[in-house]
Amino acid sequence: MPMVIALAGNPNCGKTTIFNALTGARHHVGNWPGVTVERRSGTFEHDGLQLEVVDLPGTYSLSARSEDERVAAQALASGEVDLVLNVLDASNLERNLYLSTQLMELGKPVAFVLNMMDDAEKRGIRMDLKALETLLGGPVVATVGNREEGVGELKSLLAALANGENARCRSIAVDYGHDIEGELKKLETEIQRDETLASSMPPRWLALQLLEGSPAAQTALAQSHARTAIGQQLSRSLAFLEHHLGQDGATLVAERRYGFAHGLVKEVATEAVDDRKSPTARLDAVLTNRYLGIPIFILILGLVYSVSFVLGKIPQDWIAEGFKALSTFAGDHLPTGELTSLLVDGVIPGVSAVIVFVPVIMILMGCIAFLEDTGYMARAAFIMDRLMHVMGLHGKSFIPLIMGSGCNVPAIQAARTIESRQDRLITILVTPLVSCSARLQVYIVIAGTFFTPVKAAAAIIAMHFLGLGLAVLMGRLLRSALFHGPSSPFVMELPPYRLPVLKSTLVHMWEKGSVFLSRAGTTIFAGATLVWFLSRYPGIANPEWTEEYLQQRQAVVALQLPQAETDSRLRDLELARESRIVNSSLAARMGQKVAPVLQPILDPDHRRPEAWKDVIALTAGFVAKEIVVSTMAVIHQASDEPKPGERLSPLQVSLRDRSGLTPLTALAFMIFTLIYTPCLGTVAMIRREAGSWGWAGFTIAYGLVLGWGLAWSAVTVGRWMGFA
Amino acid sequence: MTQNLPIPLSLLQPGDQGEVVQVKAQGPIRQRLLEMGFIRGALLRVEKLAPLGDPMELVIKGYHLSLRREESVCIFVHRVA
Repeated sequence: MPMVIALAGNPNCGKTTIFNALTGARHHVGNWPGVTVERRSGTFEHDGLQLEVVDLPGTYSLSARSEDERVAAQALASGEVDLVLNVLDASNLERNLYLSTQLMELGKPVAFVLNMMDDAEKRGIRMDLKALETLLGGPVVATVGNREEGVGELKSLLAALANGENARCRSIAVDYGHDIEGELKKLETEIQRDETLASSMPPRWLALQLLEGSPAAQTALAQSHARTAIGQQLSRSLAFLEHHLGQDGATLVAERRYGFAHGLVKEVATEAVDDRKSPTARLDAVLTNRYLGIPIFILILGLVYSVSFVLGKIPQDWIAEGFKALSTFAGDHLPTGELTSLLVDGVIPGVSAVIVFVPVIMILMGCIAFLEDTGYMARAAFIMDRLMHVMGLHGKSFIPLIMGSGCNVPAIQAARTIESRQDRLITILVTPLVSCSARLQVYIVIAGTFFTPVKAAAAIIAMHFLGLGLAVLMGRLLRSALFHGPSSPFVMELPPYRLPVLKSTLVHMWEKGSVFLSRAGTTIFAGATLVWFLSRYPGIANPEWTEEYLQQRQAVVALQLPQAETDSRLRDLELARESRIVNSSLAARMGQKVAPVLQPILDPDHRRPEAWKDVIALTAGFVAKEIVVSTMAVIHQASDEPKPGERLSPLQVSLRDRSGLTPLTALAFMIFTLIYTPCLGTVAMIRREAGSWGWAGFTIAYGLVLGWGLAWSAVTVGRWMGFA
Repeated sequence: MTQNLPIPLSLLQPGDQGEVVQVKAQGPIRQRLLEMGFIRGALLRVEKLAPLGDPMELVIKGYHLSLRREESVCIFVHRVA
């Protein structure tokens, strides 16, 4: 068994950089059991010795109040971890040492990495490493993580520790003072009466947590047979301390821990020079300036948006074109039939629907990692928080919501930057309401058909505002309906600006892309295949239809018309065949069943015998919203590409003249398309990021209800106002 | 000028310095504030307000932190000249 080292430290202390420097590419990203907190683990070898490293979530403490802290505390308490490596930001030592005081109480050997030594030196701080090592009771290595300085030394230290050379490890305990220590002793005595409890974690650690009022400690206590005795002692101790020291347990413990940290820093480090002239302060004078802060933020947002969705669209188009060409090639060269259809209409578009997201995910996540690593993300949240708080969201929710208008899928992934589980979940659940670029394609076709160009533009813009407005409204609603109690505190560090390490950003981009492929990919692919099945069967398996189609083709070829004419007629035949299959498919039968439900919004006057066809298009649109258009082309047997010189495509002409939709029901159709369900990619991403199918299902369900309700309101109000 | 009466942190203006007297928040917020260094006697300096007036940026224990008004009204400080 290799020795397992847990990397612990505050957010922004450079822990991940140290992790990457230690393990290189040999690491794996997963989730901690039962939660959506990312778990990164890897190995490295030194002098023939194999060591395993687990990167714990960055936390300010182990009091287990947030999901991240709970995960870190549980992992550290488990028998799996042999050694704790505490990464400290040398330029911000005192606050970083607060966590160290807790780590030292876990009863495991602790080694320390004093990272960002260069930053500390720039701030005029000099350190006495020997003294630090003595006072902390564990070996200390100084590093500059982003230049990999000191990493070699760190590796040899860890290897030496793994070999049992732990002369530099002594156990040091924070002295909480006479009164508290006395009460701790009493509590420890009571705890030791329950051997299972006492062996699950050091009694002193449990006693401290009880004094602090930690919910996790209370849970552990509730399972003990000695809970009454311990509980009584706890009440006595708290009453005694309150009476003698005039403060509650949590305050007293925190004060003594900070007392230890403050004293230690005074011993080992020189004072920092005033930071009001530091590069960070000078940058912040501009970037969070009262007048310039917001315009600069909007500029940066615009830049990220353009890079992700304008630049990202280029490889996206290549992928889409490539798969389309592949599918056409396969269709032309394979015999007509079920298997070919599975490949051409099911598998290839399915794979394409997955891979097409990868470039934009990688680029957007790269940009976001860059913003995070530089420290700007915290400023963005600082600038936008007032506005977002009014909407029941967090400052960091702003970026995912805006990015949602490009594509919901990476936008939901971008919500990862929000630490609080509540805020993150709400952001994830409302992001699908933001109208994305795929839905835009549907609006363009529909609005272009039924409205004058000016009104069409107004309707399309209105859709985007409607989406954003609904996201805000739902955010407030979900907050009050699902999460009672106060919203999580906005106590957010504004870390110094730092130049990100290119390697870290690239590793991050690669992880996001590959995790998407492996986790969400299968869901999207399975869903796409299912939709193919629903929309092709049973017609595709009808041998007579196939025979008929092949004969018609031969007949056209036999006419020996000019090549262009032949091709055009063959395309028409193909479209006719597809139309016949789709319009008699399982999806069509489902459509006929479901149509009455949609009738109040799409056919209020009962004048559209073919309203059920909309259901097929909407079902297919579940794979990806832009597919609504191409499916309509098949259903109505009219191409969605305009002939040269004409404003409307044959599809649009057919919709206008034959579908029976009116401008009002067309608008309802657009509203319904906006809301009715997130696309498969988004659903798969919600499932992954929210951690359960339940939330993914909830998003679909509320979308359907909300979409129907709003479309119905639009139709009803519109008719009342005299529109048709 | 008397410094006896503690005032909520939210009353400090950018540039003002203060010394923490007490955190009056309850529950998880209280614990978080304690962990972040808001303990008796800790010195802090209000740096600025966000462009929309909230949250505030302050320096405590040598690092920069932002707090919403909701939280800063619960922290009582002595103004330090």
